[in-house]
Amino acid sequence: MTFDFMAVWNHRDILIEGILNTLLISVIAIPVGICIGVFVCLLRISKTRLLRWPAIVYIEVMRNIPLLILIFMIFYALPFYGVRLSGLTTGFICLSIYGGAYFAEVFRGGVEAVSEGQFDAAKALGLRYGFYMRRVIFPQLYSYVFPPATNIALTMIKESSLLSMITVAELTYAAHEINGRTFTPVETFTTIALIYWGISIVFLKLTATLQSRIEVGHISTPIAIR
Amino acid sequence: MDLQLFEIIPKTGPMFWGALYTIFVGLLACGLGIAVGTALLLMRNSRFWLVRKFVGIYGSFIRGTPALVQILVFYYALAPLSGINVGPLTAGVMAVGFNSGAYVAEILRGGLTRIPKGQWEAAEALGLARLTVWFKIILPQVFNSVIPLLVNEFTMVIKITPLLSTITVVELTRASQMLYNETFRPVEVLLLAALIYFIICFSISQYGEYLQRRSVKFRL
Repeated sequence: MTFDFMAVWNHRDILIEGILNTLLISVIAIPVGICIGVFVCLLRISKTRLLRWPAIVYIEVMRNIPLLILIFMIFYALPFYGVRLSGLTTGFICLSIYGGAYFAEVFRGGVEAVSEGQFDAAKALGLRYGFYMRRVIFPQLYSYVFPPATNIALTMIKESSLLSMITVAELTYAAHEINGRTFTPVETFTTIALIYWGISIVFLKLTATLQSRIEVGHISTPIAIR
Repeated sequence: MDLQLFEIIPKTGPMFWGALYTIFVGLLACGLGIAVGTALLLMRNSRFWLVRKFVGIYGSFIRGTPALVQILVFYYALAPLSGINVGPLTAGVMAVGFNSGAYVAEILRGGLTRIPKGQWEAAEALGLARLTVWFKIILPQVFNSVIPLLVNEFTMVIKITPLLSTITVVELTRASQMLYNETFRPVEVLLLAALIYFIICFSISQYGEYLQRRSVKFRL
């Protein structure tokens, strides 16, 4: 059994385009997901039932259906209602709303870890909701929220591989394309596995640096989602 | 377009078989995952530096690459590398199982930190062999304390199984793809598939939370 990694090397332009697309999807979907997460988290911790329940339903639905089914639903079902989205747009939307639910849970966990007295004190001082959330509660969250949020962001980078099934030209799709041309599945898929591994190692290094920059006390490593 | 669920329902037989198959695959993979996780836990506590290092690299690789890519690598690389021709089901279960194993190892490591050091010392004082200590004293306690987390891990495994549809394992996702290609009704079929996945995963994760609450209540 010989391996022909030259076949992969000769198609490196496809791979590079795939890497760029994967990074592009992640760079857009992760911040959008975090925004959705913050918003849904605020709904989820609200005292009003009318605001809380939609958030609970959203979080539970997202956390209990596989991402692939969500992608297929948006990609194949929406055209029946006259909404035609490209694969890339579908990818952004799906990843963001999927990640948003997980981010919301992480942020909620953080808010619940902040002691009740902080809320009481802020209210007693007569601070407005928006102000004390922004200036009192959220700054305390970073140390709790950073490690699990990093895990979720990494998961989103990895989950973007599922978009290859709706023909988004990201890394996994590039591998399928090279494989289709050269028929070297072992080499191709091992190569992209290594590339993904490299991306996540770099990502974890970056976030670790970021984390030490914005100062953190205690660090916990929770179990990641996939 | 309006939903026509009633037209679809008589044809959904294959989807329910697919759902059962999903659970079956999930159970197999989860069993393999627990076996792999236990082995990794033992290797992590090995005396040899190389073995411990291997566990670290393995965990980093599994957590650093998408499950889809792992499945593809397994499916395409296993036959040429080992010479054993395995079907998609075997390759898929093994890929998901080895993936899950890395996470199970993390869960077990968390459980291991709760075992007091005195247990080891007591076992050593009794002169028990190292493996006996692991399998008769430490691991039973570890597993007992992490059962809720393992139940949640099972829902994670169920949520990776749709990826096996890419390597032609006919589980729920594949069955529904086949059905909507036949009936041209992706909206209804996919909604139904999502509902089935939701019911499976939600009930299991609620059970996990129930176990968690109970174990907190009964802890001394």
